[in-house]
Amino acid sequence: MLRATGITKRFSRVVALDGVDFAAAPGEIHALLGENGAGKTTLMNVLAGRLRPDAGAATLDGLELRAGSPAAALAAGIAAVHQSPMLFERMTWEENLALGAMGAGSGVRLALDRVANDARRLAERLGFELPAPRATVDERSMGERVRLEILHALSLDPRVLILDEPTAVLAPGELSAFLDLLRRLRSEGRIVILVTHKLAEALAVADRITVLRHGRVVATTAPASTSESALARLMIGELPEAAPEKPAPVEAARRVLLEISALTVEYRGNRALDAVTLGVGAGEIVGIAGVEGNGQAELVEVLAGARRPSAGRIALCGAERVWTDEIAVIPQNRDIDGLVLDMPLWENLLLARPIRKRMSRHGWLDRARALELCRELIRAFRIRAEGPGASAASLSGGNRQRLSVARALAQNPRVLVAHNATRGLDLAATAEVHRTLRAFAADGGAVLLISNDLDELLGVCGRLFVMSRGRIRETRPDERTPEALGLLMAGRWH
Amino acid sequence: MLDAFLNSTVSMATPILLAALGELLVERAGIINIGIEGAMLAGAFFGLAAAYFMGSLALGILAAMGAAVAMNAILAVLVVNLAVNQVVAGTALDILAVGLTGVFYRQMFGITGKAFMVRSMPRLALGPLARLPIVGKPLFEQSALVYLAFAIVPVVAWVVGRTRYGLRLRAAGENPAAADALGLGVYALRWQALLASGVLSGLAGAFLTLAYANTFVENITAGRGFVALAVVIVGRWNPWGLALASLLFGAAMALQFGLQALGTALPYQLFLALPYALTLVVLAGFGGGVDAPSALGEPYSRSS
Repeated sequence: MLRATGITKRFSRVVALDGVDFAAAPGEIHALLGENGAGKTTLMNVLAGRLRPDAGAATLDGLELRAGSPAAALAAGIAAVHQSPMLFERMTWEENLALGAMGAGSGVRLALDRVANDARRLAERLGFELPAPRATVDERSMGERVRLEILHALSLDPRVLILDEPTAVLAPGELSAFLDLLRRLRSEGRIVILVTHKLAEALAVADRITVLRHGRVVATTAPASTSESALARLMIGELPEAAPEKPAPVEAARRVLLEISALTVEYRGNRALDAVTLGVGAGEIVGIAGVEGNGQAELVEVLAGARRPSAGRIALCGAERVWTDEIAVIPQNRDIDGLVLDMPLWENLLLARPIRKRMSRHGWLDRARALELCRELIRAFRIRAEGPGASAASLSGGNRQRLSVARALAQNPRVLVAHNATRGLDLAATAEVHRTLRAFAADGGAVLLISNDLDELLGVCGRLFVMSRGRIRETRPDERTPEALGLLMAGRWH
Repeated sequence: MLDAFLNSTVSMATPILLAALGELLVERAGIINIGIEGAMLAGAFFGLAAAYFMGSLALGILAAMGAAVAMNAILAVLVVNLAVNQVVAGTALDILAVGLTGVFYRQMFGITGKAFMVRSMPRLALGPLARLPIVGKPLFEQSALVYLAFAIVPVVAWVVGRTRYGLRLRAAGENPAAADALGLGVYALRWQALLASGVLSGLAGAFLTLAYANTFVENITAGRGFVALAVVIVGRWNPWGLALASLLFGAAMALQFGLQALGTALPYQLFLALPYALTLVVLAGFGGGVDAPSALGEPYSRSS
């Protein structure tokens, strides 16, 4: 039995957890639901020993866990898969796994071949695909990293497995195998804690569901005695207004704002992008679906001006260029590519050139105006923060994403490229981002939405492309179902 | 002529290589030890002093290692346990070592004018190899410390690249928070790396005073510790690369002696600057730092 009682944790003035009681029994899948900033990740970090609570304690089978010691938690059998994976970037994935239990055993020598074999067996059981042998982690996509992280956690043979939003980055085909895996772990008498904001998932797989709101437990219930709408109400207090479900109709004669033709990116002997051609017109939201690691990241990097293509051209608003203020990018990995976590919020805004230009005169920054803009955005995007001077690191994951979106829109671009812009966001925040994107398009902007959330793409995008192994193909109307898209994403059209 | 050049090259490369190998271990664990110059200097002085007063070469070498280990232990307390900025702490130790050895040296010998000298470490001839023409004497009739330095290269390569301990060491330098979460003992690993580096820096210092100069002058290390830091970068954190880079700098120093001996009209300071200028040029070419451990130089302390 894993039990936490009266857990309270404050980050300066923000109370992240307020007297939280939580319990999970062996052979149980316990879903932890909550909005962004509700305290899910904080609670998980306390249980995994990564944070020392200000009050309260956690016990496993009656034995008190040493607070704030990840090693003690691990020794007690608690393994955690974090939202931002804690892998060793510059090492190969085999070395990463060897640092866990897969590398255990006798002898001083490092038996990487044995580790790779063990991993292959485990991955086969899960239906996961492994990266190429001896590939380092830093070139892998978020999805691949989380899969490695899950393999790593499982290799520790944990009694308690805590997973923080793991399904957000899994491909559709991997999801059912993953949920089966959770059920298998349950039948082995383990405790599985699934931190998620996906209500359907929690209802499908969990035995019990605990809902957090603003750092407090508002309910602990079983799937049989609740429903999606009841859970949503518990999470946010009220249901978000139903989003207009009809995507904007496709019109013919629209000015093309973003035009990509025959774009090719080659590096390390691989063709990450292979003659990608697509155009996005004013007032249009165009989507790209695909399993992560099929060229999406490279496409976004080229559009952001961070990578030089090997061939092909990009035209923005009719002119051939990328480095202009007319395009804004919402990167998928806000912590690495999006924000400087040690900087305050207002300085993070100034990292965007158009904003910096607007907020300065003759090379001097107008600090008062930048602070004012930051305050405005905090209000408009409902970012939970102490103020413009708070560091980006002090925000929860969802609020960092809001800041990233807010900054992109504050640049007043004509073209917006959003890469997994709602990953890890709760229902209300996701609906908000979608509303924002629609409003942006309705005002004559062009949106390129790259995502691996099919529901999002189907709900928001006018035209939809599928990307696989660096190539791109537009979908026909009859292919716009999750099943058909799943097949296309698996590359069934090459 | 050529054999003298080779001999000089090897003599000059040896202390740099010893220090650089230690620095590699430390950097792989995520710490940049700017204090390595100070540790070498302390080793050089106390090694010679012990050998001089106790009349034993072995005790001298032990004392050199002890002094450098003590220096690194101070650094470990500062940067591992107290998470002090590593550049500041290391620089402070360098300055401390210059002052400390200088004061001791003047107290003991500066006033009396006695010669602070010991007999040079014996050279060991490696059988028939030492009788090879030209390369025989410079490569195969050297002090034991020279052979030791080059013998440690494959050992370090094996430990870092092929053992589980090496993997843990690298993990501590790549992502200490994650390594800590796995219970790898980041603090212990960093301490161990610093102590091992202390032993190697001590040997590097001992080589300078006991095998090469046979005496002490103030600041005898003359920036060799900093060259060792550069060698780690140029050698791409790879022990074999370190050996090559050390020989390159050794050759530059040897060349400098040779050029001075030619007796041209050029001021000799120009030649003295050659190895250091080479360091700058090579660093500019190789110093991209793409292979550096990710968390190098970042203080790590477990958050509460």
